[in-house]
Amino acid sequence: MKTSRYFGASVPRLEDARLLTGRALFVDDVQLPAMLHAAFLRSDEAHARLNGIDVAAARKRPGVIAVFTAHDLGDYWKPGPLLVPPPPIEGLVFNTATQVPLARDKIRHAGEPLALVIAESRYLAEDALEDIAVDLVPLPAVTDLEAALAEGSALVHEQFGSNLAAHVHQSTGDYAAARATAHLVLARRFHYDRGAAAALENRGVVAQWDPRAEELTVWDTTQAPIPIRNGLAAMLGLRESQVRVIAPFIGGGFGPKIMMYYPEEVLLPWAAMRLGRPVKWIEDRRENFYATTQERAQIHDAELAVTKDGSILGVRDRFLHDTGAYDPYGLTVPINSQCTLLGPYVVPSYDSEFTAVFTNKPIVTPVRGAGRQHGVFVMERLLDFAARELGIDRVEIRRRNYIQPEAFPYDHRILFQDFRPLVYDSGNYPAALAKAAELIGYESFVREKQPRLRREGKHTGLGIVSYIEGTGIGPYEGARVTVEPSGSVRVATGVGTQGQGHFTTFAQIVAEVLGVELEQVQVSTGDTREFGWGTGTFASRGAVVAGSACYAAALKVREKILSLGAALLGVSAGELVVTEGSVRVREVPDRGISLGELARKANPLRGAVTPGTEPGLEATAYFGPDRGNAASGVHAMLVEVDPETAAVVIKRYVVVHDCGTVINPMVVEAQVQGGVAHGIGNAFYEQLIFDANGQLLNASFMDYLLPTALDVPTVELAHIETPSPLNPLGTKGVGEAGAIPTGAAFAQAVEDALADTGIEISEIPLSPNRLFELLAAARGAA
Amino acid sequence: MIGQHTIGVTVNGVAQERSVEPRLLLSDFLRHELGLTGTHVGCEHGVCGACTVLLDGEAVRSCLIFAVQAAGHEITTVEALSDGGELHPLQQAFHEAHALQCGFCTPGFLLSLLPYLREHPHPSEAEIRVALSGNLCRCTGYANIVAAVQRYAAQQGVGSRESGVER
Amino acid sequence: MIVEGIYPLPGTPAVIWDLLMDPEVLAKAMPGTKELVRAAPDRYEGVMRVGIGPITAAEFALTITLLELQPPLSYSMQIEGAGRFGFTRGTAKVELAPNGAGTVMHYSADLQVGGKIAAVGQRLLDSVSKLLTRQGLEALNRELTARLGGEPA
Repeated sequence: MKTSRYFGASVPRLEDARLLTGRALFVDDVQLPAMLHAAFLRSDEAHARLNGIDVAAARKRPGVIAVFTAHDLGDYWKPGPLLVPPPPIEGLVFNTATQVPLARDKIRHAGEPLALVIAESRYLAEDALEDIAVDLVPLPAVTDLEAALAEGSALVHEQFGSNLAAHVHQSTGDYAAARATAHLVLARRFHYDRGAAAALENRGVVAQWDPRAEELTVWDTTQAPIPIRNGLAAMLGLRESQVRVIAPFIGGGFGPKIMMYYPEEVLLPWAAMRLGRPVKWIEDRRENFYATTQERAQIHDAELAVTKDGSILGVRDRFLHDTGAYDPYGLTVPINSQCTLLGPYVVPSYDSEFTAVFTNKPIVTPVRGAGRQHGVFVMERLLDFAARELGIDRVEIRRRNYIQPEAFPYDHRILFQDFRPLVYDSGNYPAALAKAAELIGYESFVREKQPRLRREGKHTGLGIVSYIEGTGIGPYEGARVTVEPSGSVRVATGVGTQGQGHFTTFAQIVAEVLGVELEQVQVSTGDTREFGWGTGTFASRGAVVAGSACYAAALKVREKILSLGAALLGVSAGELVVTEGSVRVREVPDRGISLGELARKANPLRGAVTPGTEPGLEATAYFGPDRGNAASGVHAMLVEVDPETAAVVIKRYVVVHDCGTVINPMVVEAQVQGGVAHGIGNAFYEQLIFDANGQLLNASFMDYLLPTALDVPTVELAHIETPSPLNPLGTKGVGEAGAIPTGAAFAQAVEDALADTGIEISEIPLSPNRLFELLAAARGAA
Repeated sequence: MIGQHTIGVTVNGVAQERSVEPRLLLSDFLRHELGLTGTHVGCEHGVCGACTVLLDGEAVRSCLIFAVQAAGHEITTVEALSDGGELHPLQQAFHEAHALQCGFCTPGFLLSLLPYLREHPHPSEAEIRVALSGNLCRCTGYANIVAAVQRYAAQQGVGSRESGVER
Repeated sequence: MIVEGIYPLPGTPAVIWDLLMDPEVLAKAMPGTKELVRAAPDRYEGVMRVGIGPITAAEFALTITLLELQPPLSYSMQIEGAGRFGFTRGTAKVELAPNGAGTVMHYSADLQVGGKIAAVGQRLLDSVSKLLTRQGLEALNRELTARLGGEPA
């Protein structure tokens, strides 16, 4: 699609006015007559045998309507479905253990729900939680990934006989041979620890059963309203058409809201049907730290084999992945780590093996980046160390190993999370690197500025790293485009939206195709009544997959406009143009019909619709890409570190990124800026700290530090556009990109700034405290 | 049962009288008693700033105040900023600078900024960042919020301020 | 969480031992104790109320079981506390060694803390436990001194 009036333009967003004035509906804004409120009793213990729960006193408390434990759920008590089955990789082991609505016999992580109280107000429901007595026997907690796999460890799930959740081995080429011929083999251990997605809006569910219409309506902070509808219908014994799930405005997703059939999501509709009154549950922030999924503890033992000139011969990686107490999201996160490690590089041999481990910690599912940052961190750090050992410039070692622009499609010969081969569609990595190096002033920094600043006693450093983000995966999304008699255009899609600007970008696509004003296009997302087919917003796929479906549906409507216009205007379709909200004869511009008028004529009250045609100016279309596409980029940052206090100030941050064709540069740039902020948080401030007993020790924003306006610089951004051949728009995803390479860039920059101390950074998050410890250790050793 | 207190409070210029429990948070009072759901609750412990409203013109966190403490005071919420269909200039600046994504934190940012900008009509970027540092945003990375404030400050050249909510 | 230390007390180990076995004195040695009764020869039960950071009054149902009694020189305790703000449990050991006319008390405890107090009070747990320990020991010292009719050690 060619860039013109709207497509490719930085138009301000259509959804803003509702959000700015407080009129936008979020789940907690839903108020219904006779609505009840739910609160959950959650386990203080991380691991325990549950003998019984006494809720008698809670049930007697005035204002309490009902209290449910696992035993009260009867047949409705079931572990959730496995959302993402493991890919067909030979020799793969996967032990399925999915979350339960309420713990029944055993507690497997702190915060796991034990009982549901429903009362006239949230205050009363919380009061009643205190009346509940839990009889349990604490068990030793499984928290350390290596100890978890040792003989004699306590078991999170006894039926498997160990804490192994999965084992996957993928390889290509002959690593052993590569290693034998290598000039240098570097082996290191890398740690990445857990963080929270921390969307500003916590999760929430409101469920209402209408006994007259026999319809269930559920407002849910989900990134996947349609699968939630389908699942709830199946669980509750309803037809899908009886269930309407609405994901209204969502206050940030970042991954955990794509997790499906959370206990609260499953229980609220059940309770609303049983009680005959609407029920609301809104997660509070402390609950969010336990009850919402998290990500990313991994330990990698990785090896890089290179030639004397720095060419990669092979990589071997063995890693442990913490999946938490359950593994409903399958292997998406560790497979992403495994695949993303290869990055933009030619890696002739790769031998990667991982073990996913059950622990007594909250469940792990994708959080912005979804395992990709680990792979990037490991590879980029290994290249940094190799460059240092070999005396090669760190930009140069990357350039030498890049997949070249003419090498696409490039096949890495392993399987990606979408079960498709990891084949990159397009890219131009050397150009991105050159651009980033130029923007950050790499040459002058390392040759002149840094030596001068060092002489002045200043510790400044530069980090420059590459990444690939596999985005825009299938299976499919759909869209329906309707021209209404008013002339306005309605677009309905199934994906939920959490701030990415879909109301605007989808409108841009459709307005472009139909030649209407942007403001004439209304986009509906996240309401299953409006559109009932689709999967959800994840893997940076909204604009790619749903955007392509909008485009396809708009094209079909355009065909209808042309064909009906031709009939009514008595010319051939080829003589018509669709422009300015009308269809006109190209050579006779004042001969035409407005689209609203055409829509009316397409839906006659008398006469006949021609056989073989359809009434109205409406079309539905679907788009499913053959496989995911490869967005890419280079991040570069300048930092200044105070070695006495370990304070780090980010002076500049440059991103050169390629997400293919850009629909709205303003939106894309803001996604990158926001992703970088998230990445900075993950790199330096945010860490979920669990003690050996599985207790989370910093479950509030007082102790879990999100970056503020003082911590995040304004990103300097440049685009490279290599359109994706895998979709008609040429776009690639961008939602997660900003957060993926930040840790790697940060580590390189901080290490560079502190080169005189000799510290080597192989862990993220690198909190100020931890950096201080590393520095103290380096001084002690010196 | 905990007793009820009758309180009188002026919210967005309208006098309200309600009987409330002493433990009812101002945020819950505004959202659930008065239906002013533009005030959002993000953490309930005073860190994120999403629930910020004006109390007698000054920014306060409505999750840290009980409704009974607001008795006799004037509260302003985000719903009062725009005038009919027209956005407040600060809202307009947010729109033009793309200073919001999911928009959940946005009302809190607007209401934290208004009293600040009244006192500091021409802040430097560094000052703006300090002023913003009490509010958390997970989507934007703050850059465009800083830009929106700069845009607003540049537009507010000569006195167009009136009492109440400055426009 | 580990709490340990040494504290000098007046009086012989035997005198101190008797005091420590008296629930009334023990209650004073544990600041925040609202009630403490001897439920069995080797078990005390009671209620304790402490403030930790944002949690201003966490109330725990407390059970202390005495183990390995070696009068008058040492004993261990199994401590279990549970309440709406979380739980604590662990073991503590008290050793009394004669020191001239007085006694040196060695105390050590390894306590696990969970629930809200761990989640939001973590930063302050160490300092609160140190404060409570000091207050408790000072109270014990005062009680001893009063009983012995002398100056505090």
